[in-house]
Amino acid sequence: MSESVLRLENVTMQFGGLVALNDVSFEIKKQEILGLIGPNGAGKTTVFNVITGVYQVTKGDIKFLGKSLKGQKRYKITYGGIARTFQNIRLWGEMTALENVITATDTHKKSGLLSGLFGLPISRKEEKRDKARAQEILDFIGIGEYADRLAKNLPYGVQRRLEIARALGTNPKLLLLDEPAAGFNPAEKVELAKTIRKIRDAGYTVLLIEHDMSLVMGVSDRVVVIDFGQKIADDLPAKVQNDKRVVEAYLGVPDDAS
Amino acid sequence: MFNLRDFGASIWERSDRKMRVLIALSAIAVAAMLPFLGGTFLNTPVADYGSVLVFPVAIFAIMALGLNIVIGKSGLLDLGYVAFFAIGAYTMGLLGTKTSLNTWEILPIGIAMAMFAGLILGVPALRLRGDYLAIITLGFGEIVRITALNLNAIGGANGIIGIPTPPTIFGLEYTFDNHRLYFWTFLIIILLTIWMIRRLSVRRGGRAWESIRQDEDAAELMGVPTFKYKIWAFVLGASVGGAAGVLYASKTLFISPDNFTLQVSILILACVIFGGMGNIWGVILGAVILGYLPDRIRFLSDARLLVFGIVLVLMMNLRPDGILPRKKREKALPAKDSK
Repeated sequence: MSESVLRLENVTMQFGGLVALNDVSFEIKKQEILGLIGPNGAGKTTVFNVITGVYQVTKGDIKFLGKSLKGQKRYKITYGGIARTFQNIRLWGEMTALENVITATDTHKKSGLLSGLFGLPISRKEEKRDKARAQEILDFIGIGEYADRLAKNLPYGVQRRLEIARALGTNPKLLLLDEPAAGFNPAEKVELAKTIRKIRDAGYTVLLIEHDMSLVMGVSDRVVVIDFGQKIADDLPAKVQNDKRVVEAYLGVPDDAS
Repeated sequence: MFNLRDFGASIWERSDRKMRVLIALSAIAVAAMLPFLGGTFLNTPVADYGSVLVFPVAIFAIMALGLNIVIGKSGLLDLGYVAFFAIGAYTMGLLGTKTSLNTWEILPIGIAMAMFAGLILGVPALRLRGDYLAIITLGFGEIVRITALNLNAIGGANGIIGIPTPPTIFGLEYTFDNHRLYFWTFLIIILLTIWMIRRLSVRRGGRAWESIRQDEDAAELMGVPTFKYKIWAFVLGASVGGAAGVLYASKTLFISPDNFTLQVSILILACVIFGGMGNIWGVILGAVILGYLPDRIRFLSDARLLVFGIVLVLMMNLRPDGILPRKKREKALPAKDSK
């Protein structure tokens, strides 16, 4: 545990008068699973959106592998090595599962439209290579058998997993998972936890937003808690669970204490 | 219910290479035979059958194929597609009457002009989406027409007359009423366009367009350079429209701003939607039907457009995805999962 992959430095994100993130700083180290939790509306997804360039930070800076992400185009950030999943599934429904993943692997292709038009060898070669890679990723995530089915017809749980597979297709150094277990039953959550660890063990770094406490506490190496846009804790899971401010944020402050 | 698209697709998928070549060749042969069917029930009562096949049918088919790249493949609503058609036609008209260049030499110039216009329009317009893009393109189509109308250097409201026919090739003379020759020439252009679109639709480019059409934000966040691919779709669509314009001008020998009204854009859009957005065979079929039908039912005289409208309304209610909807590539599940 040494090298820092991503570092948020005093990030503030304002929408008009609303302060969604207020002076938030934390870092993610290489091959770490960092859990990001907080009550509804605390600003978790906003963190994802500023990292992936959907929003530009109002103040502060985000450094990925030492370089600032400020002003970078969204697809360039993905090209640089950050990929995400979506809280509300946003697959390309009318493409097959395999095509969903191949489209993500296209990020690193050299061939484009014209080499495809003229059927250049490089286009054919890359196509073959990436098709194999996409199938490998599907197998790795455990949904290889669904490769030829349209994404919109897949069972809900498979769709959630396909979101992860698609993000892995871009060959990221940092994987952002936005509530991957939403709507899962307990057995599926256990499976997912295994998958997330497997992803980490394969060399990826993971930032995980999740509501399910047992999953987050079980799988994360470290947990960051935010509430009303502010970081209130950043520690090992066991310590965070007993942190007074975290308990207050989730359960409220007793009447007689205030 | 009988599904024409799946029926066709299953025949195609079950055939081997030899069979496919045979199917393709016989389809081309049938299309090439169309001009000889003038004596049958296909005959159009008032307009000359041969000339209806060239314009509107063949020209509509080329334009619908081009617009399909923009709307069907990448999901960009372009309501000013006629602008590229006009730019191609005016390139042919100007260069054909003022210089000694012939149609085949002007064709690439016209295509390049239309592509350039697509780029000029695309760079600012494609930063917007959906409705906004539709309005901008709508405006662009009108700007091009009104510019042509008011610019006396290119004929103003009178347009350009005396545009030359294509030069004689292989001893085949393009006289004004040699409709068959024009039809076969345009058929070759259609086949080339189909080839281009089919090649572009596979692999990276096709997937990029498909992902943009389905969810542009997700595409961008998965590393698809969406802006670049949208520009490409626009420019390639424009190139086909420009080619159609050059050919049109070289066939009618007379163009004026009246040929390039908003109605043309809407009609081509109707061809694409009626036939089946995103499916090249569908949009060709749509263009053939919508180009041909008004002339076929001309015996209804004044009620003709009413019937045409009713057909459109009925079709859109019964088959909202068009006659031949977009291909769904799902394969059957392997047996082990089927229980």
